[in-house]
Amino acid sequence: MNIVLEARELRKQYQDKLALKGLNLQIQAGEIFCLLGQNGAGKSTTINLFLGFITPTSGAAYINGLEVASNVTRVKEYLAYIPENVMLYPNLTGLENLSLFSSLAGFKYAEEELMHYLVQAGLPAEAAGRRVGGYSKGMRQKVGIAIAVAKHAKVLLLDEPTSGLDPKASNEFSELLLKLSDAGTAIFMATHDIFRSKAVGTRVGIMREGELVDVLPAAGLEASELEKLYLNHMHV
Amino acid sequence: MVRSIAKKEFISTLRDSRFMALSILVLLLLLAATIVGLQSYKNLQEERMVAQQTVNEQFANAADRHPHRMAHYGSYAFRPKSGISFLDFGLDSYTGSSVYMEAHRQNSANFSQAQQSTSLIRFGEMTVAFVLQMLIPLLIIFLCFGAFTQEKETGTLKILLSQGISVRELAWAKIAGYSKVVALVVAPALLLVSILQFGRGGFEADGDVFIRLLLFILSYLLYFFIFIVLSVVVSALHQRSATALVSLLGIWILACVIIPKATANLGAGLYTTPTRAWMDAEVHEEVKKRIDGHNSNDERAEALKQELFKKYGVNSLEELPVNFDGIWMAAGEEQSSRVYGEHFDELTAIFEKQNNISEYAGLFNPYLAVRHLSMGAAGSDFSHYVHFLKEAEEYRYNQTQKLNQIQATQLKYGDKETRLSTDTWKAFEPFTYETPDAGWVLKNHVVSVAALLLWLVLVSTAGIKLIEKIKVA
Repeated sequence: MNIVLEARELRKQYQDKLALKGLNLQIQAGEIFCLLGQNGAGKSTTINLFLGFITPTSGAAYINGLEVASNVTRVKEYLAYIPENVMLYPNLTGLENLSLFSSLAGFKYAEEELMHYLVQAGLPAEAAGRRVGGYSKGMRQKVGIAIAVAKHAKVLLLDEPTSGLDPKASNEFSELLLKLSDAGTAIFMATHDIFRSKAVGTRVGIMREGELVDVLPAAGLEASELEKLYLNHMHV
Repeated sequence: MVRSIAKKEFISTLRDSRFMALSILVLLLLLAATIVGLQSYKNLQEERMVAQQTVNEQFANAADRHPHRMAHYGSYAFRPKSGISFLDFGLDSYTGSSVYMEAHRQNSANFSQAQQSTSLIRFGEMTVAFVLQMLIPLLIIFLCFGAFTQEKETGTLKILLSQGISVRELAWAKIAGYSKVVALVVAPALLLVSILQFGRGGFEADGDVFIRLLLFILSYLLYFFIFIVLSVVVSALHQRSATALVSLLGIWILACVIIPKATANLGAGLYTTPTRAWMDAEVHEEVKKRIDGHNSNDERAEALKQELFKKYGVNSLEELPVNFDGIWMAAGEEQSSRVYGEHFDELTAIFEKQNNISEYAGLFNPYLAVRHLSMGAAGSDFSHYVHFLKEAEEYRYNQTQKLNQIQATQLKYGDKETRLSTDTWKAFEPFTYETPDAGWVLKNHVVSVAALLLWLVLVSTAGIKLIEKIKVA
């Protein structure tokens, strides 16, 4: 087993609120783990702990075997992050945005290579030279994917990436995730989208009030069953 | 990493049409202030040079006169403008430009520009220093207020940090990018200043002008850098761009408007300056108690006479080899000058104490520090004004005493009729004034230099430390 993302008894307490209650989780290379949950369930807290943006109250998060809290800068080499709304820099073109973020990750690409990553992520070639300020949300998400791909990240952390995307853009996004998964990238996706989770996920987790209450294999599971299970958990 | 972000900030800003319009406006103001300032400098300098030359010639070609009449005829000292005073008019517009130098009296400088202008001058002048001190910091605020808040609002901060850059590196990268933008706005004007100065032979004629210009430019570069770092720090400490902007504008109002006025009022309140009438009356009273050069029947004159009789072994004023009138006049001049000097020093000390409050306040406010340094480098501060007055007084005293000496050695006692020829006046060296060097400026403003350096260290260390502690999520 090649575990690249792991949580061991991961807890996060915010003053009077326990946001994450001892999360235990292992995700392998090439696996897509979809985490379902309501707003405030602890999905974003989990992602922020893996990114090292917040420190755990107890327990530990690991990326590629490295404990995040004590290797905050080093673990960034292995992960990429795409938020719900990839805003990027509106005064820069798609190419310039990709070039900037890649250079921050230590990769210097020629324009043809940058164009290749953008087109591979589904961005029309003619849009690459235009300023991102004029892009749709879907186009910006594609640049976000290109940034992740160009970084050759082992782990991709996604925080509700399909929220607000139209069905076509959502489908294209799912296709991209599957391609990345096939290439060996471990993907952790926090989402509200049950059907998308079923469609792309290897496993689906359900989180409620900071607790991972269920983990199911997506294969062999009907979307309607997953929805029923999810709603059951939410109404306990 | 730092270079990439700095480049991005630079390019993004250049593509922001609103900011570019504002920058172009500020640049045009700077260029206009430079050209108008230089023109005004040239006119005033020429006026004063011509006036100085005229009074020098008038003195040298004065008609045959008794030397004491010549001492009362007197002369004028016109204050030449310092080499780069066109960049910062400082106190020049409010301080007098000429001193009437005559026997027995230490006149104050008169004919300031403010006296000869409409009351509109009280609103301040559009100088290069005004733009650099007040408007460029505003431009910096509009440039930097969203440095971190915009990244937070759009979520790009998390993406940036997930790429492996640290908050500290990000802060420095942004500071570098913004510094480049500010340099783009300021550099053309400073370049123009240097070219104009070089073009009119300013550096060749006086190497000190070059050092002063360098000091002027370096002071402002430090000032801008402090404002850039401060703005980035404030932006990092806020979650929303609007609140960061309000905080920064608050800092600007406090630093550039309220504190300077408050320190000036505090200085005037703590160290009250006497009124002109009171001062004149005080000096008059004091002088009355001393030797009156025009009254040789004074009992102190008698003592001096006896001293001279003893020295030369004679029994009457007529037998003395020197003219007692001249000796007595010189003694009176020495004493009255001492009284004037003491009062002048007291008054200057009060002004200096008031200025010191403002100068030390620079430790809490970089605006005040750069203002003092700027005026110092431009030669338009209070110290330069006092330096000129002292030089003029020294010249006046020496000229009067030289005339008393002529009376004492070339005229007989009681001779009020003899007229010396114009050649006597031609032998007098005319008044010339040399502005003190840049080293003198630095010595006078060491507190302001230290204040700017302290601010630099403070914002670059404590400020960046604060940024490192910001919450990303």
